[in-house]
Amino acid sequence: MAISLRKRGGGMTPSIPTASTGDVAFLIMIFFMASSMFAKEKGLKIVLPEPGEGTKIKPENILQVNVSSAGQVLVGTSLETPVIVAIPELRDLVTKRIGANKDLAISFRVSRGAPYRVMVDVFDQLKLAKAERISLIHVPLIEEGGGQ
Amino acid sequence: MKRIATRRGPQPDIPTASQGDIAFLLIIFFMVGTTFRASQGLKVVLPNAMSTERILKKRNTQNLWIDKTGRVSVNDNLVTMPGVTSVMSEKLIENPDIVVVLQADKDVPYGYVTDVLEALKAARALKVTFATNYQMGGGG
Repeated sequence: MAISLRKRGGGMTPSIPTASTGDVAFLIMIFFMASSMFAKEKGLKIVLPEPGEGTKIKPENILQVNVSSAGQVLVGTSLETPVIVAIPELRDLVTKRIGANKDLAISFRVSRGAPYRVMVDVFDQLKLAKAERISLIHVPLIEEGGGQ
Repeated sequence: MKRIATRRGPQPDIPTASQGDIAFLLIIFFMVGTTFRASQGLKVVLPNAMSTERILKKRNTQNLWIDKTGRVSVNDNLVTMPGVTSVMSEKLIENPDIVVVLQADKDVPYGYVTDVLEALKAARALKVTFATNYQMGGGG
């Protein structure tokens, strides 16, 4: 018995409907827009020293920048009396000091009670003054005492 | 009386064949230009700084939040100082190039920040960025 393999109908060519491709794509786009965010991480970079790592620097090459808990900024080397400096003036002062001494390193010590924004303001001024050798001194709770 | 003759031509239509292509192009833009929110973090108000720099390799960043009460959060979990060290040590094993972005509130006492920095040092997460908002007027 022979089976007829003739195509029925013929004529119509098969096609995949693509009319909804745009809708699907827009749906995926809305998903990405809702679930993601533009990466806008920005800030002030610092590289911390390895634990226990230390280099000896001559006292005359260390400029101490101390921030008190009240937010006052005191600047000076260990060989001179520290002076109170307003934060916006710090950039010019540090630029001059670095200009006079290329080996100058900055010892940056902030009181535990000082607001973080003051630390950032001072650090910003040091960065603007193109200070590259900045050492952030850790003040342990025992050393300073009191609360945070 | 004059009769206004109207021409009967083909019906005007806006071609929509390229709609899908445009949409896919936008998807690719969003996929490349954005990152998934890994964690919600804590509510913080960042300080402003004129020398704010952009972080170029965003995939290597790990956010760490400190709110103004001194609570520390990593990956939406509140952690203690030893917790910071252990979490960051694990992260560094996964990715040694990790940069810690410290999202600290501008009014938090610096004591909390310095303790976190010590914890990061102990974990050998040495690349740190203090997250700030850009403030105009930095000059050269």
